[in-house]
Amino acid sequence: MIRRAALRVLRIAVAAALVVAAAPVSLVAAVGTGLAWFGGWPPARLYRAALCCLPMLAVWLAATAVATRSAAQVAAAPYLAWLATWHRAAAGDWAGAAAVIAPAAIPAGLAVGGLAWAYRIRSLRTGSGGLGPDSAVAFDRRQWRHQARSARARIAAPGAVPLTVRGGGVVVGAVIRAVGHPHRQIASIPYARMRSHQVVVGSTGTGKTTLLLRLWAGFMATALRRHADGQGRAPLLVVLDCKGGADARKIADRARRVLRLAGARSTAIWPDEAALSLWALPPGQLTTTLVDLIEHGTGGAAYYADVLEAVVELAVAAPGGPPASTADFLARLDPGWLATAYSSGGHDAELGLLRSAARQAGDIALRYRTLFRRLGDGLDGRGGFGDADAWYCILEGTAEVGVAEAQARALVDLLASFAVREGGREILLAVDEFSAVSRRLPVWALYERARSLRLAVQVSAQSWAGLAADENERYRIASSADGGIWLLRTPHPEPVAALAGRSPSTDTTRRLVGIPVWSHRGSSRLRPAPVADPELIRGLDVGQAAYLYRGGVTYVQVKRLVAAPAALPAPVSPRPAAGTAAAAAARTAAAAAPLAARTAAEVPSGPDRPWPGLPDVSALLDEAFGAEPAP
Amino acid sequence: MLFAAEMYGVQLDHLAAVLGVGEARARAIAAKWRARGHAETARLGPGAPWTWLTRAGLTACGLPYAAAPPALGRLAHIRAVVAVRLALESAPSYAAGGGYWRSERRLRTRLGGRIGLREHIPDGEVHWPDDAPVPWAGECWAIEAELTPKTAGRTTAIMRELLTRTGDYGAPAAEARAPGPPRHVRVIYLCTPAARPTVARARKALGEAGTRIEIRHLPPGAAMPAPVKATR
Repeated sequence: MIRRAALRVLRIAVAAALVVAAAPVSLVAAVGTGLAWFGGWPPARLYRAALCCLPMLAVWLAATAVATRSAAQVAAAPYLAWLATWHRAAAGDWAGAAAVIAPAAIPAGLAVGGLAWAYRIRSLRTGSGGLGPDSAVAFDRRQWRHQARSARARIAAPGAVPLTVRGGGVVVGAVIRAVGHPHRQIASIPYARMRSHQVVVGSTGTGKTTLLLRLWAGFMATALRRHADGQGRAPLLVVLDCKGGADARKIADRARRVLRLAGARSTAIWPDEAALSLWALPPGQLTTTLVDLIEHGTGGAAYYADVLEAVVELAVAAPGGPPASTADFLARLDPGWLATAYSSGGHDAELGLLRSAARQAGDIALRYRTLFRRLGDGLDGRGGFGDADAWYCILEGTAEVGVAEAQARALVDLLASFAVREGGREILLAVDEFSAVSRRLPVWALYERARSLRLAVQVSAQSWAGLAADENERYRIASSADGGIWLLRTPHPEPVAALAGRSPSTDTTRRLVGIPVWSHRGSSRLRPAPVADPELIRGLDVGQAAYLYRGGVTYVQVKRLVAAPAALPAPVSPRPAAGTAAAAAARTAAAAAPLAARTAAEVPSGPDRPWPGLPDVSALLDEAFGAEPAP
Repeated sequence: MLFAAEMYGVQLDHLAAVLGVGEARARAIAAKWRARGHAETARLGPGAPWTWLTRAGLTACGLPYAAAPPALGRLAHIRAVVAVRLALESAPSYAAGGGYWRSERRLRTRLGGRIGLREHIPDGEVHWPDDAPVPWAGECWAIEAELTPKTAGRTTAIMRELLTRTGDYGAPAAEARAPGPPRHVRVIYLCTPAARPTVARARKALGEAGTRIEIRHLPPGAAMPAPVKATR
């Protein structure tokens, strides 16, 4: 026992002597390790810093070689510098001492600091280090706080987080921590993953909308640049906001401004400002969609569903072409109309079908009349998805679930049809608050044929349970997300976190003799540990997200995109009287000059003209509408 | 007939002003149009009878509008816009500048049912030729007649929409708000005394951009005559 204690003291004494002897290196290593601890850096960052200092060492050695012209002197340079440092320090020349040893001590110190920091992390991670039994847990929590603070500082720096990076990556924010992924300062995902299916899960108020806006803007900016370079097709972003209400309108406005900054020329807000045409669907698809819009049961109700489908088929496929509007379709759901339409000969089968279904036609017309009244006129316009760069579709999923489900179904069918027929766009379909429409929108069915349609699907929900109606469908959606899964704070992250898989982790046991003395006896074993820690995800702050991809997880501090209110463009330049060269020159000059910079001579204005910059039209308005009374 | 077609319909006193004749002569002319099947006349509301074009009249004018009598709910508004157009066209500077009135009906027809259906359409546009001998040559103005006060927020939103629009009505949606000079250099608001304070507040809320908005009172003759109360 006494011998063991003596050996421990001796070991500490030797280590202390080494630290003192190599004081410059020790000092740099201590500073480097301290910074890494404070900033939550990985050891690799210190190694990289050491590598960056190597040119300084090379220049110093080269200068020594040139000055001494002796290989032995070059080899002995670090030792001589070390001696000179102590001499200068003894003489009180601290600055000189630091300057002499810096080229050798800084890279060496950073490398030693990196090794020491890596040893510290490893020993705590495996449970073999630390003074107390809970040191590892406390260390990890502290490091998380430091890493999150550093990430927040990085995204706060102006210009530090661009929207996209060279090579087409979409930047999301700053990396807090990476497990199984390379650790980088800036979190970005390649554009190809934006062209794959993604899932976003996060509770209300955790920054989900901020993340989605960032992803949409990144997709738009990258796709537009690729299209301009001839590397891809023009993008089309279609957002189905299945929550609805005033909040959806605010987000739509924000999305429009953000997308405008990203390069989108037009964002259509459906159904508030824009309408689509359901009747543009091909007849076969139109029949399927119209039948699916109506909710019909199974069992005995299946008979009614068949009759409904037969009548709709008769109305859509009537001679003379499919219906062009809701009114046209409703008018056709009348036995008299259908009989007349099919009376031209050669339609005996259809007429027979009509005779069988004639009694139910009135009920079917009633159901469709009610449905279309509730759906509004958003699907009865003449617009198409090709008319805008982005569509923000607001579905009132909170207030009217049935209507939202029908609208979602119709919009997705329209989009699929657009993708098949026109096929010239790279489409991202984002379904926000998917739970509101998941009952009747089989999005996984779209997943399976989306690749051929050049259509990527991004589904977001507030929780795992909100992702789909049943567990099979949830797993189907989540496991098809080959573009990655974004997980924000949610009370039950386990099912999604488990999709990141497990990795081998060392678990060490040791015997506590008495705090802080540990016995050297113990054992280590490898055990699979979850890559994405559910506890960590449960405690994520607002704006923090975990990105799960290929068995790794990157924790990200999302950078919020801020877009100013729609800027009013500057008015056109005032035009002097035409017909003279001077007038033409003045017009050119006026067009080039900013409004505020124009001189009074350029702008014909009256003595009490209140608004400089535009020609005064008071005279004309006075002539037409009478003079304004004096204020 | 073109005037009546562009404005949805006109009342007899305005028709007389357009034709530059007395009301009796205007009534006779309207009756002639009606006899030919080009127009319909009826007393739709208080004041003089209205005249509007039938399908045959619109076809004769070469206009692709849907034939319908002026909507009863919009009679007062239509009358006010007609009065504004007449007042403007009677100004010597308007004639000198060669101004051209593009009616709401024309704009709405250009828009059709495409996306942007719910965007605000002004009550008219005035286009000035590039080579007009007036300082505002080449400009396009939006004209708005305000009879009843909306909320200031809604009015501000309409003003902002008009001032930021860059593309023509009926153009692809992508061009409606594309980078470039605004379509409407200025917006002229003609208001009733009741609506004017709200419009002024909305203009003030726009800040510097509000300098492109002119507010005037509606001209005389814009108001619909009050309905005559039945006497026992």
